[in-house]
Amino acid sequence: MQVQCTWTFPQMRFRHSTSTFLSLSKHLSESFSVRIGSGRGRSCGYPSFVPTMSTVSTEKDTVSTPSESIQKTPQPLQDVAELGVSLVLLLLPSRESSMGNRVAKRLEKFKTTIFTQMSNLAIKHGAINLGQGFPNFDGPEFVKEAAIQAINDGKNQYARGYGVPELNNAIAERFKKDTGLSVDPEKEITVTSGCTEAIAATILGLINPGDEVILFAPFYDSYEATLSMAGANVKCVTLRPPDFAVPINELKSAISKNTRAVLINTPHNPTGKMFTREELNVIASLCIENDVLVFTDEVYDKLAFEMDHISMASLPGMFERTVTMNSLGKTFSLTGWKIGWAIAPPHLTWGVRQAHAFLTFATSTPMQWATSVALRAPDSYYEELKRDYMTKKAILVEGLEAVGFKVFPSSGTYFVVVDHTPFGLENDIAFCEYLIEEVGVVAIPTSVFYLNPEDGKNLVRFTFCKDEETLKAAVKRMKEKLMRK
Amino acid sequence: MEEKLSTVAKSFTPSPIQELSHLAQRCSAINLAEGFPDFPAPAHIKTAAVSAINSDFNQYRHVQGLCDHLALMAKKMHGLDVNPLTDIAICCGQTEAFAAAVFAIIDRGDEVVLFDPSYETYEGCITMAGGIPVFVALDPPHWTLDPNKLLQSVTGRTKAIVLNSPQNPTGKVFSNDELETIAGVCRTWNCLAITDEVYEHITFENEKHISLASFSGMQERTIITSSLSKTFSVTGWRVGWAIAPALIASAIRNIHVKITDSAPAPFQEAALTALRSPPEYFESLRRDYESKRDYIVKLLAGIGFKIEFKPQGSIFLFAEIPESCLLSDVEYVKELIKQAGVVAVPGRGFFHTNLTMKKISQEDFSYQERYIRFAFCKSDTTLAAAAQKLGELSEATGCLKLHPSDT
Repeated sequence: MQVQCTWTFPQMRFRHSTSTFLSLSKHLSESFSVRIGSGRGRSCGYPSFVPTMSTVSTEKDTVSTPSESIQKTPQPLQDVAELGVSLVLLLLPSRESSMGNRVAKRLEKFKTTIFTQMSNLAIKHGAINLGQGFPNFDGPEFVKEAAIQAINDGKNQYARGYGVPELNNAIAERFKKDTGLSVDPEKEITVTSGCTEAIAATILGLINPGDEVILFAPFYDSYEATLSMAGANVKCVTLRPPDFAVPINELKSAISKNTRAVLINTPHNPTGKMFTREELNVIASLCIENDVLVFTDEVYDKLAFEMDHISMASLPGMFERTVTMNSLGKTFSLTGWKIGWAIAPPHLTWGVRQAHAFLTFATSTPMQWATSVALRAPDSYYEELKRDYMTKKAILVEGLEAVGFKVFPSSGTYFVVVDHTPFGLENDIAFCEYLIEEVGVVAIPTSVFYLNPEDGKNLVRFTFCKDEETLKAAVKRMKEKLMRK
Repeated sequence: MEEKLSTVAKSFTPSPIQELSHLAQRCSAINLAEGFPDFPAPAHIKTAAVSAINSDFNQYRHVQGLCDHLALMAKKMHGLDVNPLTDIAICCGQTEAFAAAVFAIIDRGDEVVLFDPSYETYEGCITMAGGIPVFVALDPPHWTLDPNKLLQSVTGRTKAIVLNSPQNPTGKVFSNDELETIAGVCRTWNCLAITDEVYEHITFENEKHISLASFSGMQERTIITSSLSKTFSVTGWRVGWAIAPALIASAIRNIHVKITDSAPAPFQEAALTALRSPPEYFESLRRDYESKRDYIVKLLAGIGFKIEFKPQGSIFLFAEIPESCLLSDVEYVKELIKQAGVVAVPGRGFFHTNLTMKKISQEDFSYQERYIRFAFCKSDTTLAAAAQKLGELSEATGCLKLHPSDT
């Protein structure tokens, strides 16, 4: 009996060649020479900070998540030392026995508790949730059926690390259709556990500690956190209402030969802005001039309502320096399946794959098969998707305007941001709390999407990825209870 | 554009072992290399997944019931009191749980002790987080832990010890004494421990998997990682978890949320069903794997292998090449593919050169090129076919007759 060999895992990728052995060994021997000089009694300077970690939930939590405590004080270790051990301890490096300083420094930047607070409040008040960025309706039957088929056909074991070939091919075909670019599915596409992982793998695979990376604020919360994991030096260019246009002069002074990469999310969460061709051209020329990479998060590309979506990779000179990321979840309302991908030239793909191999190693097999079916959906699927979302958007936007919000134009995604200040609350968090408690509707305060929260205090984000009844009910509540102060 | 890669990514190179992989594919070899089953996953679990998809459990999800059940199992199996609300993070496989754990606790320059031979991913992960892997060689042929070797490798910079038991590639189940040694070091040096317990339900004879966390003073400093994959033959579903003291579990969840945000939702639901499988499921899992182990031991013994160490757990057998055969592990596997149409994994990739130990101890490390890892998580048909193919190549003496070929 002959079984197809799909030798795919990291455990196969041994550093066998002598040259690599030497470089590895050098790395090891450096660390050992440090060690030999030290020994017991050497004090190690662990920081004495105690991070105030909270159990985090992001906007992705379902309403049914049980309440989690916000702050946790670390429990000191109960070192029950016998005499002999306590003598040894005297000789040991002075290290706090508390668990507080065992947690890595990189977590200092992980701060999102706001979604937890909002979720808890929402449950408590039975509020209609227009905060969470995922649908309350399900994905299309034909995609679900494909996953079921795959499970029943026994496609339940490790997939090839960088993707099931069928899916890589389907992604390449779709990309060609969308951008006109031909990519090699074997060398230029990596499948990941959602676009979130594509971002993590791209950043960890391509960014060195100390590298400068430019973000546009407001930004999806995982960007900053992942960049801090990679030790990057983050620079922010802020997009401002009413049109959230890219401030060209600011960008020009931000990008320099020291910049390693720029991260672009278009269509943009939370504002719904879509980067125009002019903006992308300017960014492109700056990147070419300064030899900068571009990482694009395009998960909402099929929810482009007011203009056509443009992929940076399709601009002249840009494919060779761009990682284009996307996913199944938003287009097919299956956000929990976690199928995403990164498209990049081979030398960049290689970095993404290295990191990916150690982050998750392989992606859910049956869902990959289903995604290959999904991506071959006819044009009618995408047209209907847009029509549905545009109807939903109209319901929400008309409602918000009638209630008295200043609604900023959103060209894409399923989000709109609004200025809440007509209602007289002090900032976005206070407004959202009021909205939950007094009106029974959830929105997300946008200050969490900024490096400097002050920049977002006048804005809150609503989503319309909910069924029409839910949207209408929310609008009704706001009309009834949200009085313009 | 080469300079655009991060330093860490550049240090990883694709391996010549990949050539063997391609060769195996070209020869359509019988695959005793890969650590995943070629038999179907249990029906009741697949049904649960299908049902979850149909019931619209398809959006981002945290399934608290899964945590509840994991806490129950930790109590039942190891006597651990785990708070399901705060001490557990559900991740995309044990791989991600481990990665998140490493990122949660390892700072640049932190040393992490590992036991050699070891599954390769740990090292890469630690390096990616800026940590320094430090390898402690287990002693062949039984892969015993020499406490002195461990003590010599621990320093003031040691942040954590990684323990995989039952172990890939050797199939070793760390003994109570060895676990106590490791626990003692952790307590004394105030290190953390990260365990990989994915083979926890696959142990043989009277071996019982004991979690390091169950030792005195260990639960508060141990991160347990495991998954559905090996226990339920669904390596492609990517549902795993980390169990740790609340503060660390919280940190792991934070990281996980930034890496992938959520494990696949329908499979989290199915995991509930899986974990509720009756005791008979786990017993038959052990029995089946034990008989597969016995089969492959016999099969290899029949072609000249002297199996010094029979796996006590896991789905792997780590066999030393017969003395009479002078080929290296890579050469042997190459011939195995070409002449016998069977593929296994050369063992050298599981070993890591520990230069200082070499200098100090003058020990002979040449054994590192003499081991081959065979996976026996294969259907009886596959194993029988392998036996047949290998049998065809046996000489009258019963030893595998391999001639180094020209190409």
